[in-house]
Amino acid sequence: MATRSNTQPRRRQRLRRALGWVLFSGAVALVLLSVLIPYGWMVSGSFKTSLELQGADVTQPGREPSWIPRSFTWENYLNVNRTVPMLDYFKNSLIISSGTMVLATLLAFLAGYALSRFRFPGREAYVVSVLSTQMLPGILFLIPYFILFTWINHRFGIQLRNTYPGLILTYTSFALPFSIVMLWSFLDTIPKELDEQAQIDGASRLRTLFSVILPLARPGLAAVGIYAFIMGWNEILFASVLTGRGTRTVAVGLLEYITAQEAHWTGMMAASVLVSLPVVVLFTLMQRAIIDGLVAGATKG
Amino acid sequence: MTRLRPLEAATPSRARTPASTRWKAHLRRFGPAYLLILPAVLGMLFVHYIPMLSGIMVAFRDVNLYTVTQWTSAPWVGLQNFIDGFDPAGRLGARFWRSLWNVTLFGVVTIVLGYVIGMAVALLLNRPFPGRNLVRGLILLPYITPDSVAYSVWRFIFQARIGLVNKWLLGWGLVEEPIIWLVGSRALYAVMIAALWKGWPFAALILGAGLQSIPKELYEAARIDGAGRWQQFRYIVLPLLAPISRTLILMSVLWNYNAFNQFYVMLGKDPGWAADVPSTLIHRESFTTFDFGVGAAMSLALMAIMLIFTAIYLRAVRRGSSLAEG
Repeated sequence: MATRSNTQPRRRQRLRRALGWVLFSGAVALVLLSVLIPYGWMVSGSFKTSLELQGADVTQPGREPSWIPRSFTWENYLNVNRTVPMLDYFKNSLIISSGTMVLATLLAFLAGYALSRFRFPGREAYVVSVLSTQMLPGILFLIPYFILFTWINHRFGIQLRNTYPGLILTYTSFALPFSIVMLWSFLDTIPKELDEQAQIDGASRLRTLFSVILPLARPGLAAVGIYAFIMGWNEILFASVLTGRGTRTVAVGLLEYITAQEAHWTGMMAASVLVSLPVVVLFTLMQRAIIDGLVAGATKG
Repeated sequence: MTRLRPLEAATPSRARTPASTRWKAHLRRFGPAYLLILPAVLGMLFVHYIPMLSGIMVAFRDVNLYTVTQWTSAPWVGLQNFIDGFDPAGRLGARFWRSLWNVTLFGVVTIVLGYVIGMAVALLLNRPFPGRNLVRGLILLPYITPDSVAYSVWRFIFQARIGLVNKWLLGWGLVEEPIIWLVGSRALYAVMIAALWKGWPFAALILGAGLQSIPKELYEAARIDGAGRWQQFRYIVLPLLAPISRTLILMSVLWNYNAFNQFYVMLGKDPGWAADVPSTLIHRESFTTFDFGVGAAMSLALMAIMLIFTAIYLRAVRRGSSLAEG
């Protein structure tokens, strides 16, 4: 009797734990599934023939769109440049995003250093202006910005619209608020004594900045750089207005697969895979640092 | 530099030194700081602040395709742009108010559900299990996927005859006829689902980080006192995550009124009466109709809304961070 009453609750406890584990795994699986299904549908679509995909029909049994392509093909990837000059758009995006990365990182590094090391008059006001800029949506200044570009072109003959420098400047400024806050937090973790030591040793401010602080700030700089790159790669609103044939980026170029006349879904899905790859790879590389920065950016004040 | 005077006057030793020397001392002390922020300030001045100010002037002028190159001398029309933009009886004004309603509805649904799902997943992943880091990385995928890719794929998923949603709905016998998702009033719901899919991982990320900062001892103490899971959630997690939740929700509210990409990618330039949002309306009014003045007037109205929210946001951030520091 004694043993029986002892094992019964233990077995029940074990059963309960097993049940809990099953429920828990089920919940995790459900979350993962709901996240991954659209990617599955994208990849599956990118390997179908145009004929299969456009001929599919949910109302006709036997012709429903399927998960596994009935006739598997690489054509969509090989011909990604056929209906839309996607390779040119890749080149444009690469140039614009890299330029944004370099310029935003440099400017944010300088400003972040000033915020981290100097208690200058107006610092508070500057921080507030940076934080609130981050909150103001692009549509607010898209129109006057476009007009400004047009006006500068008309007045001074400097073309900014539909040029790489114009877009790099734009995206750099978009990336700045978040980058500054992120690098400011990061530089705060580097001891001030290092600066003082370098200056006692006779190094100038600039020298200290670039040969003492810069190497130590590398992880933070990399995170900011990748953030800025991704920003330029993904931006749609300004790209839809400020880019032309020669500078169109992948984010807006992708939409050209669907026109009023034709829908090239298979090509669009293949291009979608290609467009998201660089972003996913870069993010995975720097996941930790970017996440820390995002959390800091959401809570810094 | 005039702002510095009171500070200097308060220190008598400095007040006696000649102004030029004081100025030089200040310059030597803070000059480098101003030089360091200068490039960033110039960039943001050119891209953010100057356009924002000139936007106010554009809103009072008739700036269109013909007058845009000399917009500073475009005809002054007073409040006409605002009347065109906001008169509920007018074609455009009716659209504007409807778009404001649409984006609010869209925001309420996506932000509330996004927060709830994000919180649930953050709690789910808060206990250690093998492969947790991989799962955490995978659920961030929607957040990092470029908007144009994610919403193009969802546009594909919602296609009537070749889409996944209708394939399932018909396959499970829930509907008889394929549903037209991306036209008419259903379009807003389709975009909501896609935006929710893309938005909740960020909430889960932020709330997950908040959960990890809660000391384990608190749960233990609560358990000893006989608190169940729900009570632990109600009396430990919710209050301790309140500051971060407030920031998260206010930030989402701001971004919500900015919503453009999901509508533009999934529904095109004109999402239709029932799914139009201010951003797509302003975009169309300015770059399809080329009525920049009215577009700028509508932007100003939106900016007023945003400024109110930004003020609330900044106050909340201040309070939040001071609470977090103790």
